[in-house]
Amino acid sequence: MSTIQISHLTKRYGRFAAVDDLSLEIPAGSVFGLLGPNGAGKTTTFKCMLDLARPTSGTVLYDGKPLAPEAFEKIAYVPERSVLYEWMTVAEHLEMERRAFRAFDTKRAFELLAGFDVDPRKTARKLSKGMRTAVMAAIAFARNADILILDEPTSGLDPVNQRTVLSLIINEAAKGHSVIFSSHQVGQVERAAERIAVMDRGRMVLSGEIDELKADRKIVEGIFPSESYALDGLASDPRVAHVECTERICRVLVLSGADEIGNALAQRGAAGVRIVDLNLEDIFLYAVSPKTADADVVAGARQ
Amino acid sequence: MPAVLTVDPRSGVPIYLQIIEQIKRSVALGVLQTGEQLPTVKQLALDLTINPNTVAKAYRDLEREQVIETFAGRGSFVRNGGVSEAKTAISDVAAKAFETAVRDARALGLSKEDVRDLIERSVERWFPEER
Repeated sequence: MSTIQISHLTKRYGRFAAVDDLSLEIPAGSVFGLLGPNGAGKTTTFKCMLDLARPTSGTVLYDGKPLAPEAFEKIAYVPERSVLYEWMTVAEHLEMERRAFRAFDTKRAFELLAGFDVDPRKTARKLSKGMRTAVMAAIAFARNADILILDEPTSGLDPVNQRTVLSLIINEAAKGHSVIFSSHQVGQVERAAERIAVMDRGRMVLSGEIDELKADRKIVEGIFPSESYALDGLASDPRVAHVECTERICRVLVLSGADEIGNALAQRGAAGVRIVDLNLEDIFLYAVSPKTADADVVAGARQ
Repeated sequence: MPAVLTVDPRSGVPIYLQIIEQIKRSVALGVLQTGEQLPTVKQLALDLTINPNTVAKAYRDLEREQVIETFAGRGSFVRNGGVSEAKTAISDVAAKAFETAVRDARALGLSKEDVRDLIERSVERWFPEER
């Protein structure tokens, strides 16, 4: 078990910063979800965490120490694109893992493959995209690793197998292992993770515990009887992250203190005040693109 | 127990609060009785496919509120006296629902009298035997 500390991590490719001054701490034994649009820097972050890419600056420490070669026994990594030898069978891949890692549980790997309905006698080249993902997952979860780093571990899987992978992540967490994973399926992160970070264009734009983010972040909506209303500096309140107003409706994204902001709107003449809960997808969208998110929330009109 | 408890991870309400409310409700309504064992943290996490630390957090809060008690190595149980704690908590939930309903009605432009009428009509509808 180890706490992972990423400090001021920057990775540049020429002038392009794939990861730009990223700092975050992943407590031991937690499930951490990394979210972000394509090209946000999630994969590069994982590669830097694994020493597969050398950071331009900044550090990644495991319990205060840089990654030692022997630590690879303790870390399982599922890359975004499956790395399988096309001419080898699935069973041969398992044999290779068994030779490379002392703690590899071959029996468990075969059970997991059966659960995913993958025939271990097949050669890699005969596998569909989903099956390849399943093979990578089966290998990772049979490693008995303390830390699992999973880059899009459910991509290409059908809903049943996606759920299996989520259950496997939860099972690892119940054993006290750390799981760090990225996914475009926000709903999966919402179930399995307790903490998240959102990256956008190399930078971290949001991080925290999902439950706390949901408890704090709300949309407060005020409906005004006439067009001549004034917010009187409410927009510069530190709890207010974003304001979107039309003629009679003012919608405020608050980072905390929804009730007080609601009262403030009422004091400014709002006839009706509504506080709208946000799910993780809304919170994510607001973090990367407030405008799009607004349209979404209005269209959904969640109560 | 799994049949009693469901969570909606996509809701804006934090998952641990959903678990707390549903367990209190089950205890208050007698679906879970004094001394009855709750699923382990791991079991509930796997049943609901949610993070085990989230379940553990819900259980810790329920212990603090004296609805359940946990014995190392044996598991978590509905506490003696947990029923009255849960009933109080559940009436808090009802109070909050009223609060929201009245606030929303006002937001829709209803008058105090309109709101009183609505409440009276609901009471008559849901307590017909006492009319």
